[in-house]
Amino acid sequence: MKMRWITDIEADRQLCLHCRKLHPLTVRVCDRCGEPVHQRIPHSIPVTWSLTVAAIIFLVPANLLPMMIVKSIAGEDAGTIMDGVIYFLEHGEAGIGIVIFTASIFVPFFKLTVLFYLLLIVHFGWRRRALFGLKLYRIIHFIGKWSMLDIFVVALMVGIVQFKNLATIVTGPAAIAFMLAVLMTMFATEHFDPRLMFDKEISKKPETKQHEGIDHG
Amino acid sequence: MVALPLHPTSSQYRCPRCHALLYRRGQPFRYIIVMAVTTLALFVPLTFLPILDLDIMGLKAQSTLFEALWMVYKDGYYLIAFVSMMTGLLIPVIMMVLLLLMLVPLHFGYRPRGVALWFRLYEKMREWGMAEVYLIAVIVAIIKLLGMGTLHIGPGFVLFIFFFLTFYITTVWFNPEDIWYEDAMDY
Repeated sequence: MKMRWITDIEADRQLCLHCRKLHPLTVRVCDRCGEPVHQRIPHSIPVTWSLTVAAIIFLVPANLLPMMIVKSIAGEDAGTIMDGVIYFLEHGEAGIGIVIFTASIFVPFFKLTVLFYLLLIVHFGWRRRALFGLKLYRIIHFIGKWSMLDIFVVALMVGIVQFKNLATIVTGPAAIAFMLAVLMTMFATEHFDPRLMFDKEISKKPETKQHEGIDHG
Repeated sequence: MVALPLHPTSSQYRCPRCHALLYRRGQPFRYIIVMAVTTLALFVPLTFLPILDLDIMGLKAQSTLFEALWMVYKDGYYLIAFVSMMTGLLIPVIMMVLLLLMLVPLHFGYRPRGVALWFRLYEKMREWGMAEVYLIAVIVAIIKLLGMGTLHIGPGFVLFIFFFLTFYITTVWFNPEDIWYEDAMDY
């Protein structure tokens, strides 16, 4: 099928990512909404790389340390994320168990895997996989916030169950590591510019408006 | 890049390369204003009505959404309390306020100077409003607590569901790009 589009460089246009006004490539600040305009998100790849790696590091304590500590007359019970999932599966609430497993374990790992794959697509210029990569990008963009579910659940439980000596729930150290990991994957996704996957050559400096160096798709 | 023929009717346009939705015209501003006001009105009682009553062996506890997060804050987990408060409750509310700041003057026929700033703030917050995640979290927490004692769902919970629904409808109806059009005033 014949291509029915031209690239932004060919047309000498760049898009304001906030209000979607089109500008010539020389414009620096959007005159409509006031945001800086860039042909591609500046430093997209290094920032996405570092946030992805940082998120992986934070996921280790997040999965090993306790998420929530239940103190009651029967003693202290500290549970990791996986313990919470197993608790629901054993108590016949398989549905909730699967929701928590998906939100807290599957989604973060899936997101990081996809982010790695997207970064590799840009790094090695696998443009044939760009469309597939873009689909994955939309998926992780959509599901990103759902990983916060367990954090909210812990926060609510801690807030509600405060019965002095009888039963108290305290936040575990994993909660903070997990939340940081989730926030980092969200920032990484937002900082990744999916258009880079379609560019024929990675421009060394996206900010310099060089017409050579970026080829036309 | 593709040229986009602009139709006055509510058409939608897709990218020929990746089939992403490029543009779809939003609903008339007056509908959105009504929905945003409803969302804000629902939020007021949420701040003091309990989401549930819990009864463990005669000891009773009641909690609103804010009290629960206040406990987390008092435990020393400031960041968790702050982020949960912002993403779950405050960002949706701030988004509604920003939306009204943009749309009400436009609806009455003038374009105030702050519009560009409100628009930018609104766009930046869009990713971070997580009322739907918070709603599911409340349900999960309720199911978890069922095993601990007698539990009654409070009026705050029902209100929170409606708050989420009106918030969601408002954000879906509102297409922020529409405020830039010359005929935005006619909405």
